[in-house]
Amino acid sequence: MKQTRSILIVLCLPFLFCTQGYAQHSGPYIGGFIGGNALMNAESSDALGSFELRFKPALQGSAVAGWDVAPGNSLGEGRIELEYTRRSNPLDRVKFVEGSFDGGGDVKADSLLLNFFGVLHGNSRWSPYAGVGIGAARIETSGLTVTGSPLGSGSATVFAYQLGAGIDVALTDYLNLDLGYRFFSSARPKLTEANGQTFAMDYVSHNAVLGLRVGF
Amino acid sequence: MINLIWSGFFIMLVLSGCGWNGTPTRSNDFTPLTSIEISADYSNIAVGTSTRLKVTGNFSGLFTRDVTDQVTWSSDNLNVAAFTMAGLPNRVKGVGTGSATVTATVGNISATCPITVSAVTFSTVTITPAAPSVAVGLSKQFTATGLFPDGTTQDITYDVAWASSSPDFATVSIDPASRGLVQAIAVGTSDITATFGAVSATSLITVTEPVLESITLSPNNPTLLTLSTRRLVATGTYSDGSTPDLSSQVTWNSSDTTITTIASDGTATALKPGSATISATLGSVSATTNLKATGGYLTGISVSPAAVTLVKDTAGRISATGTFSNGSTRDITGAVTWTPIDTSLATVTLAGGSLAWLNPLAVTSTTIKATYGALSSAAATLTVIAPQLQSIALSTTSLELIAGTSSPLSVIATYSDDTTQDVTHLSDWTSDDTTKATVAAGGLGTERVTGVAAGLPLPKISATYGGETVLTAATVTVRSPTLQKLTISGASTVAVGAHTPYTATATYSDGTIVDVTSEATAAWAVDSANIAIPADSINQPGQILGVDSGVVTLTVSFGGRTQTAKITVTGP
Repeated sequence: MKQTRSILIVLCLPFLFCTQGYAQHSGPYIGGFIGGNALMNAESSDALGSFELRFKPALQGSAVAGWDVAPGNSLGEGRIELEYTRRSNPLDRVKFVEGSFDGGGDVKADSLLLNFFGVLHGNSRWSPYAGVGIGAARIETSGLTVTGSPLGSGSATVFAYQLGAGIDVALTDYLNLDLGYRFFSSARPKLTEANGQTFAMDYVSHNAVLGLRVGF
Repeated sequence: MINLIWSGFFIMLVLSGCGWNGTPTRSNDFTPLTSIEISADYSNIAVGTSTRLKVTGNFSGLFTRDVTDQVTWSSDNLNVAAFTMAGLPNRVKGVGTGSATVTATVGNISATCPITVSAVTFSTVTITPAAPSVAVGLSKQFTATGLFPDGTTQDITYDVAWASSSPDFATVSIDPASRGLVQAIAVGTSDITATFGAVSATSLITVTEPVLESITLSPNNPTLLTLSTRRLVATGTYSDGSTPDLSSQVTWNSSDTTITTIASDGTATALKPGSATISATLGSVSATTNLKATGGYLTGISVSPAAVTLVKDTAGRISATGTFSNGSTRDITGAVTWTPIDTSLATVTLAGGSLAWLNPLAVTSTTIKATYGALSSAAATLTVIAPQLQSIALSTTSLELIAGTSSPLSVIATYSDDTTQDVTHLSDWTSDDTTKATVAAGGLGTERVTGVAAGLPLPKISATYGGETVLTAATVTVRSPTLQKLTISGASTVAVGAHTPYTATATYSDGTIVDVTSEATAAWAVDSANIAIPADSINQPGQILGVDSGVVTLTVSFGGRTQTAKITVTGP
């Protein structure tokens, strides 16, 4: 958690040092992102009670395709984009009444979101932005274990959303470097325990991303 | 600056949604059980007795858990040790002398435990506790212990025969789950006996009066306007389940008597804005509630009328209005102390709610003051005269009423010096046909004539006053249309401490619209006395008084119909 905060605070610091910028791009663009995500401790619950799943941080990757709104557009300054992201976090520990035990396996989330970002263009090449995304995520468990014994499996497609903010760095009139933070969450997916019971788990993650967008 | 705002936005996002930090409630049943271990309270038991077995599971060497309830039991020698006790699957009973091995099985995991059953008999049996006292409604677990000749002992609570000599006073359970549990039924004594074979033991239990276990105060966390009163009720809960009203038995206390006082009957009086803790104590049991006083503190009192002339041996209405620090004014007639300088000349009689009568007793002039605490009003002047009564007259001589509704009627007396005075509440009122119309006192000293049923001859209402009969009459015509609609009208917002009138209007099938606000059969109610209360339900129905900020529902019921209105009370 502290590591995540540190990364994001560092990401914010460039906002304080904005300088001369390039002309604003408008029109279509595509891009790709890589980053790290911290999947938060998740409350999981079934008919027998609740237990905690703790995950290790992991890398993530995204692809986007969108449209930079032209300056002066009645919609405001910003961009609309479709984003696909894959996250996969290893299960680290599982906490029950008796204590905390080693976990294994992964929880993957493939999300498809429609993002709306507002961009604050100024006279510098640094342009802060913020926005929201809504869509769906397919959350899938892969070989979840506790103390080496099967814990659960299955997948579910649920409503998902994210809050995002960051800075665009205009490298050229058509090429932007994007440093961003995403808060991603979903409705609780219902999965299946090894004993056949259904359990639901939280899915909340903090994400730091670095990407390039190419405009046309 | 804008960049700093963006940075703050980022940091706020980071600090939000930090994951679950709760306490798990589910056990780990994913990690495999790898072994179990049996522990017995006694490995050597006497024939006819039993011992409890407990099974602890080891889960892959990572943790242990009691799995007794998941076990299937078996014995290799059912003539020695058997699981035959109904409702007690984890107790093994010695049915014959010898040795046996009992086996516990969970899934494919098993463990064994040797049990030896001997023919040794107990030399004595003892019961604990020896001579307890238990209040009615409470219970006490008794234990029977057998003493072997070699000085060792065995708990045989589940093996003895329990009996009570007086089940009307105390019973003893023989149920498997609560064997030896004695329940106190009524005040008295009973011998509790535990018998095992030829030996037995007895314990005399004394059942005492129920004990007070808790007190609850109602209303909980009340709010009162300054200078108003509200009675708190202390309800006790006794060990026998009874819940008597203890309001007059408890000792009441206020943590701050400058904010509120509390009388010995539980009546709280709010003096100035603030909060105080009210406690009620009886013996070692107490309860508390927080009382909030609102409405500002009293800054001034005025008396109305400031000067009045009354005929000796009549009465006139007098009232006091308080001015409060929050800018509000309200009627405090019933809260002040009235101080005539000479009570042989005049007195003040409280008639309930906001109604007080000034009674002139001698032909003179005198003054009256209203006092609350250290504050007093300016003196009001009373001049008493004694002219001769000449005549009385009703305010109207004909009334047309709808059945179930009423209309006020008053009497004005005229005296020899041409003075006139309202003597309505001093007159004797009668109806010559109460099946058609009745007459009864209304609020603030008025009389109201109520239509009962239509019919001829028309009923007459008469008033008599003045020693010698001076009689006049009003003729009442009663109609009986059907009530179709009931409405409430009045302000949607009222201020704390402000009297606010509301009107209930009935619409009838013939188009008649009647104000039924003050009808005796119109029931007004407010759903939260902490937010608003009826200002004077005795004399001024439909008026409410804001107590504290919030929203209340005002309800009026009349003629089988009910109407509600939401009212917002605003502070301070």
